[in-house]
Amino acid sequence: MEASQAPSNATPNPNPNNDFTNNGNSILSSTPVWPTIDGPFGLSEEESLSYARRFYKFGYALLPWLWAVNCFYFWPVLRHSRSFPRIRPYVLRSAVGFTVFSALLSSWALTFAIGGERLFGPIWDQLVMYNVADQLGLTGWS
Amino acid sequence: MDQNQRPKTLLDSLGEEIIRILAPVSICMFLVVLLVSILNSNSSTSVTSIATIAYAETSSDSSWDKFVGALLNSLAFVAVVTVVTFILVLLFYLRCTKFLKIYMGFSSFVVLGFMGGEIALIFIEKFSVPIDCITFLVVLFNFAAVGVLAVFMSQMAIFVTQGYLVLIGMLVAYWFTLLPEWTTWVLLVAMALYDLAAVLLPVGPLRLLVELAVSRDEDIPALVYEARPVTHRDSGSGENTVQRRVWRERRNVRQDLEDNLNLNGNVVSDANSSVGTVQSSHNDTRIARVEEGQVSERDAELSAPLIDHRMNGQDGTSAESLVLEGMGLGSSGAIKLGLGDFIFYSVLVGRAAMYDFMAVYACYLAIVAGLGITLMLLAFYQKALPALPVSIALESICQQC
Repeated sequence: MEASQAPSNATPNPNPNNDFTNNGNSILSSTPVWPTIDGPFGLSEEESLSYARRFYKFGYALLPWLWAVNCFYFWPVLRHSRSFPRIRPYVLRSAVGFTVFSALLSSWALTFAIGGERLFGPIWDQLVMYNVADQLGLTGWS
Repeated sequence: MDQNQRPKTLLDSLGEEIIRILAPVSICMFLVVLLVSILNSNSSTSVTSIATIAYAETSSDSSWDKFVGALLNSLAFVAVVTVVTFILVLLFYLRCTKFLKIYMGFSSFVVLGFMGGEIALIFIEKFSVPIDCITFLVVLFNFAAVGVLAVFMSQMAIFVTQGYLVLIGMLVAYWFTLLPEWTTWVLLVAMALYDLAAVLLPVGPLRLLVELAVSRDEDIPALVYEARPVTHRDSGSGENTVQRRVWRERRNVRQDLEDNLNLNGNVVSDANSSVGTVQSSHNDTRIARVEEGQVSERDAELSAPLIDHRMNGQDGTSAESLVLEGMGLGSSGAIKLGLGDFIFYSVLVGRAAMYDFMAVYACYLAIVAGLGITLMLLAFYQKALPALPVSIALESICQQC
């Protein structure tokens, strides 16, 4: 992660009204103006900061999918490594958190599915979902 | 910079708009058909719910008994819907928007979490997928929580919001197809009639809601599918800026309002004209199942026309006349389609899928034709039009064949 507190080299114009004319003339044409994937229909930079931060913090409530959505939403921030220095730390940490969590979860799920009863013994039958659903009567209609 | 580009004709932009609204409707219908054909191999599924309290259909009854029973069911359903809608109007009148917002978020969570979870459980049991309960719970919790945020907050990624709205429509539509056959058909017709009555009659709850919202210049909370606005390459930068700003203004207004499911509401906007127009959406309710002591709850979905004054001021047109039903025109060039229409069409197609696939194909064509015709008429007349009658008419014709 680069020094995120350094002033940005790219100058994303916080005033959205002038961006169309500025972006056309800008030499740094690869600099994204909008931090969100929706472009002009998305958020401005200030709102993006609060959204990114909020998504990142909520993701700690066992919500890796929220982290993934965060990365998807702020994809221009991830792709262009020199832009939006204030938003970028949150999106990066969300990406890292998502990959770590999904690696853990998928390894556990694959171990469970492939290992099966040989690995776990009788407790496999107690943990597998269709037995749990039967015990609790969750699909009482079928 | 675009002098060399041919200006977009009405057909070009209209075609793009139509595609942007037909694609999610088709995806929703396709998913429901898929679910029905995969999961419904057993025909004897009886669902206890509000829609079947008056009469539980069995295959041994005569046709007349079934019809009368279905009629009683539908009347009970419509009665509950009316009551809940009136309660909603009352709450809206008393400005309990916070409570409504929490309630709507909670109901979205119920649909996504419980209905989605149960359908996933059926899938797991049918195919004996060796997933453990911890993983399943985490995945389901994620799915439901992000879904609530997506439809709740007005500023999430457009693709995520649209995806979740389609999924909610699919889940509710699949659940509706589990109702007994006659009940389903009569219920659809009854809901359409109720919708018309509630919107047109001066004492109807939807009309009251509309007038309340208009008088306060507020947005009606509703779950509405909003297609991505079509950007015009050939317009100047000034106009783009204005459009963008209006889009954001509208979304900011909606930010502190809750979302409801929006049945039988069709709002189409004409991207070419930048006229501030009326959006209309319709009230509807959604049922949760009564099973094993779970309390059944109803969510009333609201729909009402809105008048948007904030469009491009160059036209100087004031607000159009209030159109209380069917399709209207939205602002900022975005097509909006009520989620109820998604559900309605998907239930029709899902029911047809229980017979054979030719029926599915015919129904799909009828619905697409109806929707396309309504959109075209909307573009030409630039007024709100009822979207359902065309589809229903074509649908019933196809059913007779």
